[in-house]
Amino acid sequence: MSTKTTEHVAAPASLVDVWLALMALLAVTVGSALVHLGSLNVVINLSVSVAKTLLVATFYMHLRSREPWLRVVAAAGVVWLAMLIGLSLVDYLTRTELPSPW
Amino acid sequence: MAAEVLTRNATAEQFDAPGQERAAAGLGMWVFLATEVLFFGAILASYTVLRVRVPDAFAAGSQRTDMFWGTVETAVLLTSSTTMAWAVRAAQLAKRSQVTHLLAATMGLGAVFFAIHVHEYAHDFADKLVPGIRFAYEGPLAGGVELFFFLYYVTTLLHLTHLTIGVAVLGVVAMLNHRGRFDRSYYTPVEIAGLYWHFVDIVWIFLFPLFYLVSRT
Repeated sequence: MSTKTTEHVAAPASLVDVWLALMALLAVTVGSALVHLGSLNVVINLSVSVAKTLLVATFYMHLRSREPWLRVVAAAGVVWLAMLIGLSLVDYLTRTELPSPW
Repeated sequence: MAAEVLTRNATAEQFDAPGQERAAAGLGMWVFLATEVLFFGAILASYTVLRVRVPDAFAAGSQRTDMFWGTVETAVLLTSSTTMAWAVRAAQLAKRSQVTHLLAATMGLGAVFFAIHVHEYAHDFADKLVPGIRFAYEGPLAGGVELFFFLYYVTTLLHLTHLTIGVAVLGVVAMLNHRGRFDRSYYTPVEIAGLYWHFVDIVWIFLFPLFYLVSRT
């Protein structure tokens, strides 16, 4: 395993660009919430949250410039979360509750 | 002898080189953050199940949260992430006083977030929206709305605890920085504390739409 780390120093302009993008995404999520779009509202809200997270993780948390295996660890956390929520929902969405007879 | 070694920011003895130490610190922190994802994940899973089962109650409960202050809080935390990332940049370039100022700005924004949240809690208390302590909600959705606010408190208080720990950690890092403990080759604590701060920000990025924006039309 290589012990060399890449010393990537972010340019001030890129930090500001990411901030502007985050603020724009915040405006999108708040703005869309004020319009009645049915179930599309929650889709937009969560997509914006994922986009914001990717921006923060990629640039501010240096996932882009640091060792590739950090991305694997970060993804692993999300995969386990998806299993936790997804497999819980499989039960709740597909089974009817049977009241106990006693 | 030991103190002398410490002030020279020497690589800890279990590591071969500063680069290896830094890589190990990054890996350790990311593994910790993955466990934190699941810590909050258990709550998010119960949120998902309950929202699927009582969607109307969650919509009604969400309408009682303060969207304006929630939006301001989100903007404050996103901005604090930017000042934090900038502090890491300054640390990489060994600009000591700039690091201190940016860490102070990050902590200040964290304090602003904290203050706004306490203001919201006070409002909820006045509106009788605190389950178990002072709760009154009329109508058939009362039970579901109470569950919504129960989750709201558990989640936001847990998040606020993380934020408070983050501010304290940044305070320690700022003190170490002020004492000149970091240089171009060693600024790991700034970077690691930054990762934690960004994680707290990311948790809020999800909590904001889940609690404040369920149904606003």
